[in-house]
Formats: sequence, C-alpha cells, structure tokens
Amino acid sequence: MSENNAMTLAPKKSFLKRNLPVVSTAGPISIWMIIFVMLPLLYILFISFMSRDVYGNIEYTFTTDNYKEMIQPLYLKVIWKSLKLAFLTTVICLVVGYPLAYYIASKPSKLAAKLLMLVMIPYWTSSLVRLFSINQLGMPNGFLNLLLLKLGIVSEPVDFLFSDGIVIMGLLTAMLPFSVLPLYSSIEKLDKSLLEASKDLGANPAKTFIKVTIPLTMPGIVGCVLLVFIPSLGMYYVPEMLGGGKVMLIGTLIKNQFLMTKNWPFGASLAILLILITLAMMWIYTRVGKLDELEVG
Amino acid sequence: MAGEKRLSKRLRKKRLWGRVSNVYAFLVYLFIYVPIIVMVIYSFNDQKNNYYWNGFTTEWYEKLFTNSDLVGYLGISLIVAVAATIISVIIGTIGALGLVRFEFKLKSVISNSLYIPIVVPEVVLGISLLMLFEIANFPLGMTTMILSHATFCIPFVVIIMRGRIAGMDLSIEEASMDLGANRLITFFRVTLPLLIPGIMSGAFMSFTLSIDDVIISNFVAGPYATTLPVKILSMVKTGLSPEVNALTTLMVLVLLVGILINNAVQALLKKRALTNIKSYF
Amino acid sequence: MKMRKKFLALALSGLMVFSLAACGGGGDSGDSKDAGEVNVYMWSDYMSQKMVDKFTEETGIKVNFSYMSTSEEATAKITSGGGEQYDLVMPCDADMTGLIKGGYLEEINLENIPNLKNLGDAYKNREFDPENKYAIPYFMNYVYVIYNEKTCPVEIDEYKDLLDPKLKGQIASVTGIRNLFPVALVSLGYDPNSTNDKEIKEAYEWLQKYVANVTLFDSDSAEKLIINGGASVGLFFDGQASRAFDAAENLKVAELKDAIQLGVDEFVIPKGAKNKENAEKFLNFILDAQNMADNMQDDHLYSCPNEAAVALMPDSYKKHPAIDIPTKMKENYFLQLDIGDAAKTYDKYWTMLMSEENQ
Repeated sequence: MSENNAMTLAPKKSFLKRNLPVVSTAGPISIWMIIFVMLPLLYILFISFMSRDVYGNIEYTFTTDNYKEMIQPLYLKVIWKSLKLAFLTTVICLVVGYPLAYYIASKPSKLAAKLLMLVMIPYWTSSLVRLFSINQLGMPNGFLNLLLLKLGIVSEPVDFLFSDGIVIMGLLTAMLPFSVLPLYSSIEKLDKSLLEASKDLGANPAKTFIKVTIPLTMPGIVGCVLLVFIPSLGMYYVPEMLGGGKVMLIGTLIKNQFLMTKNWPFGASLAILLILITLAMMWIYTRVGKLDELEVG
Repeated sequence: MAGEKRLSKRLRKKRLWGRVSNVYAFLVYLFIYVPIIVMVIYSFNDQKNNYYWNGFTTEWYEKLFTNSDLVGYLGISLIVAVAATIISVIIGTIGALGLVRFEFKLKSVISNSLYIPIVVPEVVLGISLLMLFEIANFPLGMTTMILSHATFCIPFVVIIMRGRIAGMDLSIEEASMDLGANRLITFFRVTLPLLIPGIMSGAFMSFTLSIDDVIISNFVAGPYATTLPVKILSMVKTGLSPEVNALTTLMVLVLLVGILINNAVQALLKKRALTNIKSYF
Repeated sequence: MKMRKKFLALALSGLMVFSLAACGGGGDSGDSKDAGEVNVYMWSDYMSQKMVDKFTEETGIKVNFSYMSTSEEATAKITSGGGEQYDLVMPCDADMTGLIKGGYLEEINLENIPNLKNLGDAYKNREFDPENKYAIPYFMNYVYVIYNEKTCPVEIDEYKDLLDPKLKGQIASVTGIRNLFPVALVSLGYDPNSTNDKEIKEAYEWLQKYVANVTLFDSDSAEKLIINGGASVGLFFDGQASRAFDAAENLKVAELKDAIQLGVDEFVIPKGAKNKENAEKFLNFILDAQNMADNMQDDHLYSCPNEAAVALMPDSYKKHPAIDIPTKMKENYFLQLDIGDAAKTYDKYWTMLMSEENQ
C-alpha cells in the first residue's frame, strides 16, 4: 500500500524530501533577515541617493552627491581611526578572553556554567550606570584616589579620567563577553585526548598550544574576532563617555548626521559605506583565514 | 627513582600552572566586577544625584520598595529580553545548522546580511525599523520591540553556533539515522544535546544585548513600553539618583543568589548534555 | 515519551512568546479606545507627579509618560513617523522650523488654551511660529559659565577668557554644534546663527583653542566634574548649574558681557495624535500660574517662561544662584534659529574639530 503510494507520488515527494531540511532550517532565518534587515536596508540605500532640504527633511530627488562628499581626507581619517580602534579592541579582547575562556572550559561543566554566568551578570546591568561608576571611581575625590592618598603612594590626586588608557580599558570591559562566549563554546568541545597525544609525542606545552589547541579552536577565534571587531567598528558610546566626549568615530559621525545635523541622506550613505567596509573586511578575512574550509569542515 | 622525581616535578609544575590560572581568572573577574562594586557602594550614598560619597543611607532601598516605578520598567525589560532571547536562540540555532550544512541560492546573501545589524550604528537600525513598522502599519509597542531586539540578537547567536557546529562530526547523526531514527528525533536526541554549550552562549549573548539596549528600543517603543535602560538614560538629563544603583544592586544580588539556588537544575541539565558528549567520544 | 515532553516544552515556550507579543500589541491599540488619556513623550523627572495627579483628579484624564533620551531623538522619532503614537512630544526650539515646514505637527487650537496669557511676551508668537499655532514652551534653559572661586585661575567676564591657556584641562562643557558654535560666533562679534562660510570657519578656529582647554564635553552630566574638583570652570545649562550649586560650595556664575544662549523645551502635538483635545486640556492645565508654580516647587529648579507662575514662587527659587542671574545677562540672550544649508558646513567643521583632538 504505502509502497504503491510512494511510487505514484515519487517525483513530488522526493523533491520535497530533498528540500525539506533546507527549507525548515534555513527558511525561518532567511525570511527574518529579508523582512527585518534587507527591507530596512533598502530604505537606507534609497535615501542615501536623496538629498537634504534646507530644513533638514529629505528631498526626494536623485543624486550621488552624498557618495562623492564622503571621499575626502576628513571622513577617511575618521574611518581609519575607527578601524584602528576596533582592531585594537579585538586584539586585546582575544588576548585577555582566550585564557579566561580556556580556564572556564577546563572546569567541570557544572562549575563552568556558573563561571560563565559570573562573567555575564555584570553585563545585565545598565551599561550607562557601569560607565558612570568607572567615572566615579576615577574622580579626584573618588575611591581610587582616596586609597592611593591613604596609602601614601601619591601626594596629590591623580587624573584618571578621560585618558586613552581608560578608553581602552572601558572597551575591554564592554566587549569581553563577546570574546569569551564564542571562545568558550568552541574550546569546550576541544578533544583533550588530542592534547595528551601531542604531549606524549614529546611536544612541549607551547608547541602543543600553537600546533594543536589554536587550530582546533579556530572556529571560536573566528567567532570572537567577528563578534568583537564588527560591533566595535560602529560603536561610539564607550569611547565618548570615557574619552571626555572628544572622539569622532564613524558611529558618532553617522549618529550626528541623523540626529544633530539632520542630514539623513548623508548619514545613510555613510552607513552604506560602513556596511561595505565590513563586508569587504569579512571577505578578506574569510579568504586569508580560509574560513570556508573551517565552516564546511 | 628518576621517574618518580620527574613525576613529582611534573605535578609541581601542574599545581603551579593551576595556581597561576586561578590568579589570572580572579584578576579578570575582579576587573569586570569593579564597576559593579562601586555601583553597590554608591547605592547607599546619601546624595540625591550621586555626585560624591556623602554618608550612608538605606533611603533608596526604602524608596524602591515603597514608591518606585523603576521596578515596572525592569519588568518590561525582562519580558522583552526573555522573549527576544527565545526567538533568537530558536531561529539562530536552526538557521546556523541550515547555513553550515546546506547550499542554497540565497545562502551568501543571508550570511552576509547577518553582519549588517551588528555593524550599523543603532540609530540607523532604529530609524529604519521604525520606518518598516510604520509602512506595514504595525502598532508600536512590546511586539515591535521584541521583533527588533531579536533582529539584532539573531546574528550573534548564528555566529556563535556556526563556531560550535563547524567541525562537528556528522557521522554520529548519520549513525542515528541508520539506526532508524528520523531527522526530527535525530535533531532532538543527538544534534541538540551536542549544541547545548553553544546555545547557552548564544542565549547569554542575546539576553545581554537585549536587556541593555536603549536606542533601538527608544525608536520602536510605543507609549506603554518603556524599558529600564530607556528610563535611566532619560534620568541622566535631570540627575541620576542612587535609586538606580539600588535596583541594579538588588538585581545582581538576586542573580548571584539564583546561581546558588539553581545549582540543582543547572547540574541536571549540564549532566545530561555532558553524558551525551561523553558517549560521543 | 521524553521526546514528546521536550517538544511540548518547546511548543509551549513558543506559544508563550506569541501570546506575550499579542498581549503587548493588543494593549497598545486597545487602551486608547476610552478617550480619557493623553500620551506624553518627554524627559524623565521633568514634571511633578503631584501636578499630574491633580490633573487626573480634576479631569479624569490619565497621563501616560514615555521617556526620551535626547530631544534630537524625539524629533527623529516624529519625522520617521512614530509621532502619532503620542499626543504631546517635547523637542527643543531649535528643531521647530524643520518640524513645522515638514508638516509633522498638528495646529494647536488656542481657544482651548486661555492660560497662554501667563507666558512672558518674549515666549509667544516667536519667529518660527508667528501665530503660536504649533509650540507651547514648558521650561527653558540658559547656557552660561560658572566657576569655582577657589580654584579658577582666571577672571571670566566674556567668552574669550575661556581660551586662556591657563585653563588647559580645566573646563567642563556642554557639547553639540548648536551649543558651541554660537558661543564662538558671539565672541567674534558675529551673528550666533550665522550662515556665512567665512564666519563659521573663524568660529571653528576659535573653538580649536576652546577644545584644547576642555576636559569633558557632556550636555547631561558634565557638572559632576566641577563638583568633584576635576574642573574649575563649566559652560552649562542652568539645570546642570543648579545641581552643581546644590552639591558644591564656592561656585559662582560668571557675569558675562557677551550674549548667552536660551533654549526652550517646547510641547508640540504631532500629526495624527489620537487625543488632541486632551493634550490641549493638559497644556492649558500646566500653563495655569498656580499649577506651574506647584510643579516648580516640587524640586524642579529650571527657568520658566511662565511669568505669572514665577511671580508666585518663593525666594528659595527666585534667589537660587542658578536662577537669579543678573537681569542684564537674562535680557541679553539669543535663540537657536534655523540655519538652512549651512548646517552641512557646521557639521564638517564639527567633524574636523572633534577628530583633531585626541590624536
């Protein structure tokens, strides 16, 4: 009976059967991204070819001026600076986050879950209040200075506020979970027996780490780089709050176009540029890092 | 003799290594908890706008329990964050499987579009999502907020899950299917348990992103849906009161206590995941 | 069996999300059916809850507040179509021309607002809104200089004094193109709303020196620095100044010869607002002299355009150092007016200014 049925419906059924896994897995996310990312992006792309009228509203006449406008040293400098800062943040987060993720993953899973929770809890509080606390701590009459004065390490208050060092520390605190989480989920599945094997074969720990551990956890490192670098590129909030409001990053520039200057078309074209830069970086990154192989692996 | 010596040397080295890594981990934890500690101290500060330490008071906690609208805003934040997390973990995990395992026409478009919500400044995403809802004539409120939050959480989940799925041995799934389990059963009994650590990471990440979002919430929220971060940012203009610190302190406290209490549940879940992984090796 | 349980759990959580979502959506559209409410989008803690309760008691109209984080964001929300969700929104006066010309606002029916008479003459029928059809001022803020008598190394009676190299790293300041460029333009003797390229460039050069002296730019909470001794001079909104005076000693308002900026927080009714009449009732209520006076006494130390209400205020308000600035200064003010296409020029110089610093 059933065989008969299968026979008659064979072509149709096999087509569905062949496609069911793809549709049921990739389908929802595709629909979601098309509706909530691609459609809004089309709107941004559309207004990037419009212009600003005298009162700051959008004038619906086609122009490519916005794209010509942004190719000048001033804006390229801003983009370069954002790239540098994002790169620096990524490197620091990787260097600080990898050992921590490794540490957590090396614990029994019960403990690891708790340790991971402990990393995340601070980030469930308002980032604004956290940044305010960092400011409070560094004030001339803040706890840090009080402590240093009491201990006699310094004779007068040190100026801790608004230095590059503080900004970098702030970025590290802000982005750390973005590096620890992907690293953890990848290190966790690391096959410990391979490390033992490497050791037994006479490799020293450093060699084992470089030749075995790093390649095996590469997907996590890739995830960490993506999740730290990309958001850092568009971020401006932390550098602004901790840098004394004197920074101009691509994120600030775009925000200013939309809110302060009300030049939405120019802001939109800058956003498109930012997206193109990101996609280009990803393209280079996947080529150099041969990520395709990794992901298919 | 010599072997024993070498062994003890190895052991000592191992113990030293363990101690160093404990110290390192402690320092990193201290580093991320310093702002929290300061926040807790200042929640007892007897000063209206929390400018400097002015003496001890529990006034803000009393106010929090008697006369405060902050708790309500926290409730809305939690509902939005939990809903957005559930949606993005489900869609992100399944989507990551699809994106890693299968080839289809739109694949490169979809995987590249994942980077867009991550990199674009929140103002741009906020305004363009608002435009979308306006054009679709969709009433602004909690729903729009949840949809928007899920939109910027999904890519994070997918990227984490891709790292987890990459290099995962397909043979065990094939074995399961060879033994007669269908795809669905294989997914729930074999694939899913293997993915648990990644799902946990993705869920943490989504929740973290959602609970702290201000700008996108600001654009897509309606009159009845103010989240805690939105309220806090607005309060800065007129002076941020230690009441906010008090609420945050309680939140952290509840979470820390929660970890201890929920131990049993956690252990159970993890054990199951672990045994599954163990049997895999 | 186990499998089914898991599936059930999943389905349940999915269902929960959807019912939650539906709840959220339903609540939004459903509640506005009974006309007894007004939705207000403004700053947090910027209006006395007591006054709002009194309004609800008298009229039966419920007031729902939503909070904005910057007035620019409120403007952007109106222009991207999200305005109709609210009945009253509070942008600042500088954004009014764009909002009015773009057709984003409802006309206010002044017949419903007899208390408009309580406003000072300077705050009615202004240049951007000659018939007072669109905007009702609520509170306002002067931007002026305060300094710490003990630690400030220079005397300040004009903006130029802020450029003194002795003040390096000593200034906490408001930020934003339209708050800082006018200061430079006034100091150079130009129109604060200049649209002349050459003048804007000179202002940019003036500001280069200013930026070198500033340690913190922040329009919301820069006063914390002067309070804690991290700065000796502050260019602040008067709201920031009043908080500084309440929290620290030895502070004084600099008596400036130059004109100072006056910004006004305006109430507007966005196009498509559902409860326009209630919004007008609410506006009339808060414009009442006694109501506004009660509102201000409840811990709101801001300058107010409602002169009839100010007359009712006690000395603790009138004589507060942040409010009681010399009349000569109060009279010598300028407003942020629309600058048209020059906004792009300003923006370019602003980007230059902020990217040079911190190199």
